[in-house]
Formats: sequence, C-alpha cells, structure tokens
Amino acid sequence: MSRGVTLQEGQLLARSLNVSKSTHLVVATLAAAVAANAAAAIQLIGLLGQISLLALIFVTLALGTSAISTDIYTRSGQTIANLRSIGASRRSLSSAVFFSVIGYGIAGSALGAGLGAALGVAMGGQGGAVTVVVAVLGVILASSAAAAAGVYAGVRRTWRN
Amino acid sequence: MAQLGILQRNELQAQGKYSVELKHVSKSYGETEIYTDLHFQLLRGTFVALVGPIGSGKTTMLNMFAGLERPTSGTILVMGQDITRMPEDALGEFRARTVGLVPQVQTLIPELTVRENVELPLFFAKVDQDDRQRKVDYVLEKVGIRGEAKRMVSTLSVGEKQMVSFARGMVNDPPILLLDEPTEALDPLMAEVILGLLRGDNLTLGRTVFVTTHDRRVTELARKTLRVKKKIP
Repeated sequence: MSRGVTLQEGQLLARSLNVSKSTHLVVATLAAAVAANAAAAIQLIGLLGQISLLALIFVTLALGTSAISTDIYTRSGQTIANLRSIGASRRSLSSAVFFSVIGYGIAGSALGAGLGAALGVAMGGQGGAVTVVVAVLGVILASSAAAAAGVYAGVRRTWRN
Repeated sequence: MAQLGILQRNELQAQGKYSVELKHVSKSYGETEIYTDLHFQLLRGTFVALVGPIGSGKTTMLNMFAGLERPTSGTILVMGQDITRMPEDALGEFRARTVGLVPQVQTLIPELTVRENVELPLFFAKVDQDDRQRKVDYVLEKVGIRGEAKRMVSTLSVGEKQMVSFARGMVNDPPILLLDEPTEALDPLMAEVILGLLRGDNLTLGRTVFVTTHDRRVTELARKTLRVKKKIP
C-alpha cells in the first residue's frame, strides 16, 4: 500500500473523499490523548503494567483509527465509484487515505507522549532520563503502529464489503 | 432480451482491427436478462451510436465496454485486451489509459476545481506533471472552458458540468470515447456546443466514439447506428 500514489495525487484524492482538517484533528487528538496518558502512567508502574499498558494503547488506537478510515469510505461510496470510473485503483484510493491520516496519528502520538512524559516526571516518576526517553519512544512507536494497523484494517474491511 | 444490429462482416475484415469485440456476451441482473449471446465488433476509429428505449440496457452496454460492469458470460476485448478477466486494479489502470468516459449522471467531484477534476485521470494514468499541465490546458481550450479552470465544480451549471465531464473524458487522448446521452438535459445552446465538439475532427478523429443517445442530431453524426429493439421487461 506504500506505492502507487504521489503526494499531489494523494492530496487530491483525500479532498475528493472528504478527508478534511476535522478528520485530521480527530486522529491527532485521539492519538495524543492516548499517548499522553500512557507516557505519564508508564513511569509510575512496573514492567508487567507497562506491557499491559502498551497493549491497551495499541488496541484502543487501532480500533479508533479503523473506525475513522471505515467511516471515510462508507461516507464516500459514490465518490469512490466515480473515481474508479475514470481509472482510480483500490491501491491509489487506499494509499491516499492511509497517508493522509497516518501523519496526523504519528504527530499526535509524539505530542501526547511528550506531554505525558513531562506529566509523569512531575508526578514523581521513578526512572532516570534514559528510562523516560525509552518510555516515550515506546509509546510513540506503539501508538503509531496502532494507528497504521487500524487505518489499514479499516481499508481492508471496506473493500471486503 | 435486447437485440442489436451487427456491423457488416466484410467491412470488419477489410479493416482487420477492432477497438471493441464482444464474443457471445450475455448480461443479466438476477433473473432479468439484459443481453443474450451478443457477438459483434466495432472498428477502430468509427463513430457508433446506440439507440433504444429508456431502460433497454444502453448504459449497461457502455459500462461493460468501460469494464465498470462485467458480463454474466462471454468475453469482451477492448483494444485487444480481455477486460472480462482483468483484475480490478489492472482494470483501473486500463480505464485510465484507454477509455474516456462521459457518463450521463454527473460524476465530477464537487470538492475540486474544474482543472483538478480534468486532471484526475492523468494522475491515474501516471502522466508526469509537465504533460498533465499541457494536456489539461489543451483540452480545456478545445472545449472552451479554460476561463473556468479555477472555479469549483459545485458552482457550475448543468451544461458547464457536462463540458467539464467531456474535457475529463478527452484529456488523456483515449483511443475510445464512451458518451452516455451527452446532450440529454442540456439547453439547446449547450447541446449545440457538445454537438460541435463531436462534429469537429480535432477531438474525435482517429478514435472510436461510442455514444448512447435519443438525439437524432447525434445519430446523424454517427457512421453506424446500433438499435436495442426491445425494452427489458
């Protein structure tokens, strides 16, 4: 899904499918909220709790972004049919939504994780600087992967239907 | 079941090459039979009109040529390629390069400008940016709407949208142009503009033009007319 669409084409397709600033904002704030909570909490709990927390982040964000990408396609059924009649492929349509959404998921995750890390330190997190950095990177990685998996799952589910 | 006129076999053999070939094609929706065992060819570079009652399956035929609908059985070759067995994504690329479709129902994207709408098929055909610019400018000029390039499609009249749709169908210089009732629902002035485009050699010469229509003025332009004789029950 990573090939088959240029940036300009992706932007045009995303606009055609009504992927708006509001959509981007929903994805970014969802990712930021989850990442902030996780990055703060991860400093205050043990290893088992940290693993559980990362799994929870993954599932929560994947479900959320999957629903968002499914919603984009179901709202735009007629537009998709119109675009396909002039040569759009499933791959180009999928890529357009994927890349349009995923960047905001990663940005939201990074912002949320940074804020959460600062909050965790303020709340008396026990780890040193290295531990905090590792925790933040772990949260960003987990939430970004979750966002990507969610968007992809939403796309797949839509095409199957 | 609908029946179609068939092109003269000796004429087909004289040319030897077809843009569209139907081999024992049948199409049905559930129990409703639309076409049964159609077997005919369209010569490259001809202007063919398909006429018949409303609801007789003319648009279905057009959609099958574009690969938007698959026949229930049989084979359709378009420019020598079997589109009945082509995977969906390959079919998309094929459409982008081979077929210019001007549908009856407006399928323009209202969120985009005139220029962006016309440019879309070129993205799907992987045309580079300089060529895209040149081709879009050319076709907008020819169709007479270059001045409207920056307008949002949602602000255009029905007739203007039809012109944009025509430009979008032509932009990639496709060997096959499919038009579904191109003058339907247009005021006389706009219809005359479309007819002028179809009459003019610079847009239609050398390509196969297949048009569904009720408009006698359009059929008079066609080299061949196929008739769907019966309405689907």
